[in-house]
Amino acid sequence: MDKALYIGMSGAKQNMLAQRAHANNLANVSTTGFKKDFAQARSMPVYGEHHPTRAYAMTERPGTDLSAGTLMDTGRKLDVAVEGDGWLAIQNDQGQEVFTRTGSLQIDVNGLMRLPGGEPVLGNGGPVALPPFENVEIGADGTVSIVPVGGAPDELVEVDRLKLVSPPSGALEKGLDGFMHRKPDQAIDGPEPPDASQRVASGFLESSNVNAVEEMISNLQLSRQYEMQVKVMSTAKDNSEATARLLQNL
Amino acid sequence: MHPALWVSKTGLSAQDTNMSTISNNLANVNTTGFKRDRAVFQDLLYQINRQPGGLSTQNSELPSGLQLGTGVRIVGTAKQFSQGNLQITEQPLDMAVNGRGFFQVQLPDGQIAYTRDGQFQLNANGDVVNPDGYALEPAITVPDNATNVTIGKDGTVTAVTDDQSAPINLGQITLADFINPQGLQAIGNNLFKATNASGDPAEGEAGLAGLGSIEQGSVEASNVEVVEELVNMITTQRAYEMNSKVVSTTDQMLQFITNNIG
Repeated sequence: MDKALYIGMSGAKQNMLAQRAHANNLANVSTTGFKKDFAQARSMPVYGEHHPTRAYAMTERPGTDLSAGTLMDTGRKLDVAVEGDGWLAIQNDQGQEVFTRTGSLQIDVNGLMRLPGGEPVLGNGGPVALPPFENVEIGADGTVSIVPVGGAPDELVEVDRLKLVSPPSGALEKGLDGFMHRKPDQAIDGPEPPDASQRVASGFLESSNVNAVEEMISNLQLSRQYEMQVKVMSTAKDNSEATARLLQNL
Repeated sequence: MHPALWVSKTGLSAQDTNMSTISNNLANVNTTGFKRDRAVFQDLLYQINRQPGGLSTQNSELPSGLQLGTGVRIVGTAKQFSQGNLQITEQPLDMAVNGRGFFQVQLPDGQIAYTRDGQFQLNANGDVVNPDGYALEPAITVPDNATNVTIGKDGTVTAVTDDQSAPINLGQITLADFINPQGLQAIGNNLFKATNASGDPAEGEAGLAGLGSIEQGSVEASNVEVVEELVNMITTQRAYEMNSKVVSTTDQMLQFITNNIG
């Protein structure tokens, strides 16, 4: 068979994978704190005992765009947006320390601070727990203070401080749970050290950093590329049919 | 099938749910004591298509892999318990909670429901009931010959009757508060029920221990911000359109291959 058929097929398949990555970005255009994934293609030579004439395309995720989304005013005191390039440290389902920019914090029935998905938010020493309060304030440096039940408005009590970290951006990758993890080769012993210089804005949420137009254009572009790959396949088919005819007429 | 179809389908259905949430908020813009909802989006799990660090040959590794997301979902709707405006109505049995706390009413099955809607009325027996006829808890009964009912900021209800010069005490309205009001279950009719997520109600006197005060003659308006909801509606519509564009593009691709190869 003509090798061009297989190369065209692999191109079309990789286009589909890249389109899925862009579709996922677009689907998350309204997800608070979402960071879009990049998709790129790389040429992969075919190894083996033959002439090195062929290179397949291969789609991969070289990384995640860590640029900040815009801040949306919600007016809710437990909504926090991280300013700058820091991260909120939380605990995922597996008990690992992972990082997120989604700051829509909730207080559960035991006073534990959690993300909407239920993941506990980490403070100075483990998950943040608040005693019953009348009012809560989150300061610019992540300090959580409350007016305890029955207390006067001026009796603010400092309870804990949100753990804000700033691991180097090259050391992070998005894990299968959607949170940011340290890359295995960049792992450090023990928990990530807190960074006291990080700032949060209370009453704001960070929007998704997906540029919807860009994603849609990528999608259309990939769709055209796909059609061209299909064209290669159909040309390969035409060639093969022409050869078959020639052979029949011999 | 093309995986992008399923991914953009999750986007469409999430934006759909978001639109229902927004339209429900807008529909309740004039509902007394209504608290608006906000849909919370979350990205779904990621799948490894190619493991980063996998061997591309015996001597070389792939520097990055391919991990693809599977879309988005609405993980929940978060009620925003911010205070609505207080509207003066001058009705003696209209009450608003200024601050935290809920009025308690007794449902027909004996359970207690919680509400911020303070439009109370009297029934034929003189009991204070909500517009659905559910009795306020603790029950307050106003005698026939009462001419003037006064409700204090702490919930004390007094009335003046024809035959007595001194006002008589009819009881005290208490409020209930929850550690996590967002965990309450909305059951419609402006009522909420306690759940495991909200915690048990902490009942107390209005104005004390973090509870708000009771304001007679006013009701709490809905906390829906019309402008905000309209802007959210526009962004939701656009996001929906773009996701549906992915579906149609993907469909055209599948159509193209079936028409050209085969």
